[in-house]
Amino acid sequence: MTDASAQFEGRGRPSLRVQDARTRRRNAAEKRFRAYGLVAIGVGILALFVLLASIFGNGSSAFFQTKIQLQVPLEEKALDKSGTRDPEAMKKVTTVGYGRVLKAALADLIAREGIEIDGLSKRDIDSFLSKEAPAQLRNHVLANPDLIGTTIAFEVMTNGRIDGYFKGRVSLDSAELDSNVSPAQLHLADALKDRGLLGTGFNLDFLTAPDASDQRPEAAGLGVAIIGSAYMMIVVLCLALPIGVAASIYLEEFARKNWLTDLIEVNIANLAAVPSIVFGILGLAIFINFAGLPQSAPIVGGLVLTLMTLPTIIISTRAALRAVPPSIKDAALGIGASKTQAVFHHVLPLAAPGILTGTIIGLAQALGETAPLLLIGMVAFVREYPGAPVEGFFDPASALPVQVYNWTQRADPAFVERASGAIIVLLAFLVVMNTIAIVLRRRYERRW
Amino acid sequence: MNDMRLMERSAMTNDVKISASQVQVFYGESHAIKDVNVDILDKTVTAFIGPSGCGKSTFLRCLNRMNDTIDICRVEGRITLDGEDIYDREVDPVQLRARVGMVFQKPNPFPKSIYDNVAYGPKIHGQVRSRDELDEVVEKSLRRAALWDEVKDRLSAPGTGLSGGQQQRLCIARAVATSPEVLLMDEPCSALDPIATAQVEELIDELREQFSVVIVTHSMQQAARVSQRTAFFHLGNLVEYGETGQIFTNPGDPRTESYITGRIG
Repeated sequence: MTDASAQFEGRGRPSLRVQDARTRRRNAAEKRFRAYGLVAIGVGILALFVLLASIFGNGSSAFFQTKIQLQVPLEEKALDKSGTRDPEAMKKVTTVGYGRVLKAALADLIAREGIEIDGLSKRDIDSFLSKEAPAQLRNHVLANPDLIGTTIAFEVMTNGRIDGYFKGRVSLDSAELDSNVSPAQLHLADALKDRGLLGTGFNLDFLTAPDASDQRPEAAGLGVAIIGSAYMMIVVLCLALPIGVAASIYLEEFARKNWLTDLIEVNIANLAAVPSIVFGILGLAIFINFAGLPQSAPIVGGLVLTLMTLPTIIISTRAALRAVPPSIKDAALGIGASKTQAVFHHVLPLAAPGILTGTIIGLAQALGETAPLLLIGMVAFVREYPGAPVEGFFDPASALPVQVYNWTQRADPAFVERASGAIIVLLAFLVVMNTIAIVLRRRYERRW
Repeated sequence: MNDMRLMERSAMTNDVKISASQVQVFYGESHAIKDVNVDILDKTVTAFIGPSGCGKSTFLRCLNRMNDTIDICRVEGRITLDGEDIYDREVDPVQLRARVGMVFQKPNPFPKSIYDNVAYGPKIHGQVRSRDELDEVVEKSLRRAALWDEVKDRLSAPGTGLSGGQQQRLCIARAVATSPEVLLMDEPCSALDPIATAQVEELIDELREQFSVVIVTHSMQQAARVSQRTAFFHLGNLVEYGETGQIFTNPGDPRTESYITGRIG
């Protein structure tokens, strides 16, 4: 053995243990390529991390809200002059009347607790509470007229700036320059907090309340947007899935391959790449201007998103159908099943996980789509909840991504927090949908 | 090859089951089958042999119109089953395939239970009226395919979980469950090991009692072992067709002789 290797070395053959120049260059190239790959993945992960960190950093506080515990005397002479406890008669007292009651209750609380703060004016006390608070109290009292004459404990939202103070958005320095809040109010908030009368808690209203005007960011919620998005998803699912699957089955299993089907195929592939705003223009022209459907309605949004989702569903369904081995269809045809039976008994069940995955991904895409909805008027300010299905599909509503867009345009910095919070909700829905898609694929995927 | 055995197993009947005359098959522009005339007898095993690409599988697929599923395939000529033209406009290929069953090269059980695999044919053809009757058909078919004893305790297990040989026998059981008159087999043993092959061949010999069996095979030994009649295809032509014993011992065409002695193919 040693003789033999010695012999080879003697003949001038290089040892395998020494890399020649060519091998070294190839190895270097391979290492370099791996490094590029690692850098690319690293940049991707870093970008994702920064994105999530900034969204959660900005938005997570939207789920919390600073509220103050007030003892509110509901006096009959102020709120129910007729004394009948009839809600219709009580409606004569507007939010202005309830605002007075709340302001008095707050002033009373400050006096009772003996809080004394330099420069705290009456105006400061009046604007300490949210402009939304009187409306909430009024709704509560109108719903329970028997409360008149008693003193109730009522949790009231504070002004958005006070809320921002506890979330780090507003400081004593910035309050000096801010016409909407004074340092005295912040001192008052601190004092109330020390006495345990004011605190920050979970804010369910963010998920259920409707949108609010520019002046009261603390009251703005996603309720209407979530309902609108849900209605649109129902419309998309009910239309795009059957139409898409039927079209795919026909094109894949029944249609003859000729220039017409080729043309259709090319067009479907192209439609998937059409900018979504084009679908918005189409929806505006056809569904609203031509068909006369109402603006801002989930039905129109759903129809537009259906058009947009169809190519995605058709492409993924056809891929899923094509992935079923032809031997299965042959087997069915070979024992005398008709084409329809072969497709519906054997091919479609095997393709179902792929179809469902494609559908859910298509829906997720539709859920996050903004541009076409802007064109059909879903960007409108909607405070009324849409009705129950199916009539509710025709009521004005908002949608999650549009609500994000809407809030980012408002001036008050509190809306930035709300917008990020809405993004978190949207992302949560998307994560849930994609998880369902993955679970379905894992569970029903068959190997043969 | 044992000549005596070949002679013993000569065809039992001379009834013509399928008759093909002047059959031409085109795939787009290419002419895959040229002027094939062949009479397939009832209760007989007929083997199609020939080199790869000679058209024997294509011709087999003409016999139950499986070629209809290929858009570019065109069949001309006349093929009759019991005297009826199967390419007649009024013939529904679905009905035809219930009478002319097929077993494929690769075992292709449905990804369903063993029971459902066998029961599928009788169910879609409405051949059974009750669950008991269906159970009976399934058992009978599995027994015929010599698979019953191996699977009777796990009929609800997936058919795809069986071994290759068992899967192929399951496919045969599935094909015979609809009680076809003709069974077409496209290289049924090419994916099987010698033991499974022997089992399937034994099975084919038994099936001959009820069906007319047409088998495409690459193995000349297999053709000699299982068939009574053999057809030799070459380049889309039917070169020679006759008693298996005669084809293998005394071929009439030099091309047949070259093929079975291993000089072409």
